[in-house]
Amino acid sequence: MSAPGGENASDRPQVPGASYTRRLDELQAGDGGRFGGKSASLGELLRAEIPVPPGFALGTSAFTELMSAVRPRAEVDAAPDAAAAADIRAAIRSAPVPDAVRGELAARYAELEQVAGIPSPPVAVRSSALGEDSSEATFAGQQDTYLWVRGVDDICTAVRDCWASLYSTEAVSYRARLGGDAGRHPAMGVTVQQMVDAEISGVMFTCNPVTGDPSMIAINASWGLGLAVVGGEVTPDDYLVSKVTREVVRQTVGDKQVEHVPGADGNGTTRIEVDDGRRHEVCLTDGAIRALVDVGRRIERHFGSHQDVEWAIARGQEAPEGLFVLQSRPVTGLPARPDAPAPASALSLIMGKFGAA
Amino acid sequence: MTTTVAQTGSFPSPYSIETPPGCEGWEEMYPYYAVFDEHRREADERRFWFWNSMHFPVPHPAFDVICIDSPYQAVGSWQNRVFAVPPAMGIDYRVVNGYVYISGNPVTDPEKIAERAGYFQRRAGHYYENWPELYGKWKDKMRALIDELDALVVPGLPEYEPDEVAFSEDRNTAFYEVLDAYGRVLRLGDLMWQHHFEFLLLGYGAYATFAELCKANLPDIPDQHIAQMVAGIDVLLFRPDAELRRLAGLALRTGVDGAFAEGRIPAEIEAELGQTDAGRSWLVELEKIKDPWFNMATGDGLTHYYRSWLDDSSIPYASLIGHIAALRAGQSIERPTAEIERERDRLAQEYGELLGEEIRGPWTDLLALSRTVFPYVEEHKFFCDYWFLTRWWNKVREFGALLASREFLADGEDIFHLSRHEVASALDELVLTWATGGQPLGPAHWPPIVARRKQLLERLATWTPPPALGVAPPEVTDPMTIMLWGVTTDRVREWARQQEGGSELRGAAASPGTVEGIARVVRSVSEIADVREGEILVCGSTSPAWAPIFSKITATVTDVGGVMSHAAIVCREYGVPAVVGTGRATSEIHTGQMIRVDGTAGVVTLIGED
Repeated sequence: MSAPGGENASDRPQVPGASYTRRLDELQAGDGGRFGGKSASLGELLRAEIPVPPGFALGTSAFTELMSAVRPRAEVDAAPDAAAAADIRAAIRSAPVPDAVRGELAARYAELEQVAGIPSPPVAVRSSALGEDSSEATFAGQQDTYLWVRGVDDICTAVRDCWASLYSTEAVSYRARLGGDAGRHPAMGVTVQQMVDAEISGVMFTCNPVTGDPSMIAINASWGLGLAVVGGEVTPDDYLVSKVTREVVRQTVGDKQVEHVPGADGNGTTRIEVDDGRRHEVCLTDGAIRALVDVGRRIERHFGSHQDVEWAIARGQEAPEGLFVLQSRPVTGLPARPDAPAPASALSLIMGKFGAA
Repeated sequence: MTTTVAQTGSFPSPYSIETPPGCEGWEEMYPYYAVFDEHRREADERRFWFWNSMHFPVPHPAFDVICIDSPYQAVGSWQNRVFAVPPAMGIDYRVVNGYVYISGNPVTDPEKIAERAGYFQRRAGHYYENWPELYGKWKDKMRALIDELDALVVPGLPEYEPDEVAFSEDRNTAFYEVLDAYGRVLRLGDLMWQHHFEFLLLGYGAYATFAELCKANLPDIPDQHIAQMVAGIDVLLFRPDAELRRLAGLALRTGVDGAFAEGRIPAEIEAELGQTDAGRSWLVELEKIKDPWFNMATGDGLTHYYRSWLDDSSIPYASLIGHIAALRAGQSIERPTAEIERERDRLAQEYGELLGEEIRGPWTDLLALSRTVFPYVEEHKFFCDYWFLTRWWNKVREFGALLASREFLADGEDIFHLSRHEVASALDELVLTWATGGQPLGPAHWPPIVARRKQLLERLATWTPPPALGVAPPEVTDPMTIMLWGVTTDRVREWARQQEGGSELRGAAASPGTVEGIARVVRSVSEIADVREGEILVCGSTSPAWAPIFSKITATVTDVGGVMSHAAIVCREYGVPAVVGTGRATSEIHTGQMIRVDGTAGVVTLIGED
């Protein structure tokens, strides 16, 4: 099967004595400090019974363990210059993952293999930053993602690549600007999640991000993996849907020139051209839009705030069964509510309409 | 001396419009004050005028000018002199090549606006606070007015006055009775128009304020959701068709449905029904609903062309044929009122919950107030424009018959080609020569005038009026222009763009859904019968009176109209996609053409030539 499996948490095999890792469905919002915002928020989504591909989280303690072996702590914590940062990155990438950490990763992967029901299931390895999962942190390169990774060795490599990204030039200067503890003791969690072989994917906002209208759900969708939409490589299909009636109130079909698909050997991803016919073809069915709106509203209710959601529909499947949520974070930077003069009464509003306020 | 401005903004100067060949002298049909005259050029050329195709879709007949003067006298009185709407006085009109253009008179002096605000707050406040009671009285007034019109007798001119005139002291001679009756008919019409506008501004105003509050806080809310939250469930306007649905069921139950074959005209159906007992009892049932439910007009324009269902039953019979066919096919034809009401309350509930707390209270109150006032907005049309006006035109026809009986007119219907003042003059001579026994000049004087004007109207009908004239305003602010005609800043810009042509028309998204199909351009109600199953109706503006054909058509496109128009409401009721207020659909689209109507986005695309 190409879609991630989903069993009840209680049915799944346990990893006894785990200290570095947790299954995603064992996490909640409060775990953000130890496992990073992304893993914690996926845990929250699972608690709300949102369809999220199964996976597990690697805590910051694993990173700390490795770093204590890589360099003396004092040396690492000092704000490095560009050359020093490059050294640290190289050191993280070449250092062996501590045996205890590797052992737990292997056990978790085996567990996932069982849940997925296929050998060496492909996974996405993503960094799970501490603190606000903000767009600036993304920009600073602290949000690396490695897709279509298979086997414990490759997972370990991807994990170290995520960790190394903490010392990218952008991340270092970002922390320098932030200052405080985050800057002095950088740490990071990692999320490992079964891949969805996405036929269609995209982003959904639980409000109109342009106008701030809270009664709308805005969806961008394109072919293949979500990279194309998130990375702005295509003009996605653009839908504005009423939460109240689930009618599509505006729909613009985009020019979806490229898509990202799994590599030929089942490892990594490849970017390919979309043929002329599909480029301008609408990617979402009415059913898919309805399923997205339903999921969006449930996510919004669970978090009590507007959310920016990454989602995918598995190849050969239809929503709602084939719809998966890959990530959710609060929407920031909404337009301010109109300075409507706090209306005293219905009648005073009407008077205003006739210019007699 | 003023210089000629051939093109002002994106619209032609009203002074640059040429008279179509053969239509010279069209001005004789209209009052001296109704034209773009050199004495007003300075001001008129700088104003923004738009063609009121919603009310005046065809070249306007001379008599029907009363339905321009009187409504604008009435709307101006209420808006400017009673409620003193602060930024807006009344609406001016001018006639160009037989078509009516209108323009609002703004109040710009801040002191004056403040002064007017005081009047408005007191007077409008009184209406809003006492709405149900005042509206109840209004309906009584309208019923009394209609009764008075019905009771008004247009006297004949006898060879000899009856004995009573000679022997009783309180009887008048026919000369006085005729002139008095004519004067009363005109006065009753004026009174109807006065009533028509008493609540209209305030009704639309409450609704428009609610719509604005929705849009300020929910910027993307579709207009139709706002309308759905406010619209009445059980308004008079739905009753006529509801009665027809009931009679359709009766026809089926009593086995007389065979008479209602597609393509039959009312007379054929009634002839067949008349042959059986069951058919005759069905006709008796039909007779019972005619008063008042057949007092529907066949269209919305303010001209005598629109008759009532009583005069022309082709619309109700077409509706019956459709309902009976649907019932035979096992479909339900009941209007799902409970469902509509549930959906209306669900929308209100859900939108209310999505709003911020500080806005929810006033929003809820305003919705309640809008629901209180909206029945008037929907029902005044039945009382005034349909019930009263169709009877009123018929009363005028009686004077036409009187004039024709003494050969002042070749045909009674010709009365509509004389102005109301010319009719008064003709009646003066008619009763004069009846009294004196002298030779009337009328039979030589009036028929050539009528003949000339008929030809003028025929020729002017082939001319396409531009949607607007004069200087395009940077912004449309007049509340009435926006509320009643849906002429917004965006709409005006769109018209300006379309001046240059294009294969896409934009209007207001009035009823959601997208449909492709063959266009049927309907310019007058007489063409309604031509509409075929599955076609897209393209017209100047639709009338809710046309509702029955909405079960036949797949989409609607109009030149003028807003999403809160009755037509839009009916389209949503029937689930027919609609784009309204495109400005020029009837001139850009021709019958047989393939078009796509996107009622969700408000776009009409012309796909093919045929």
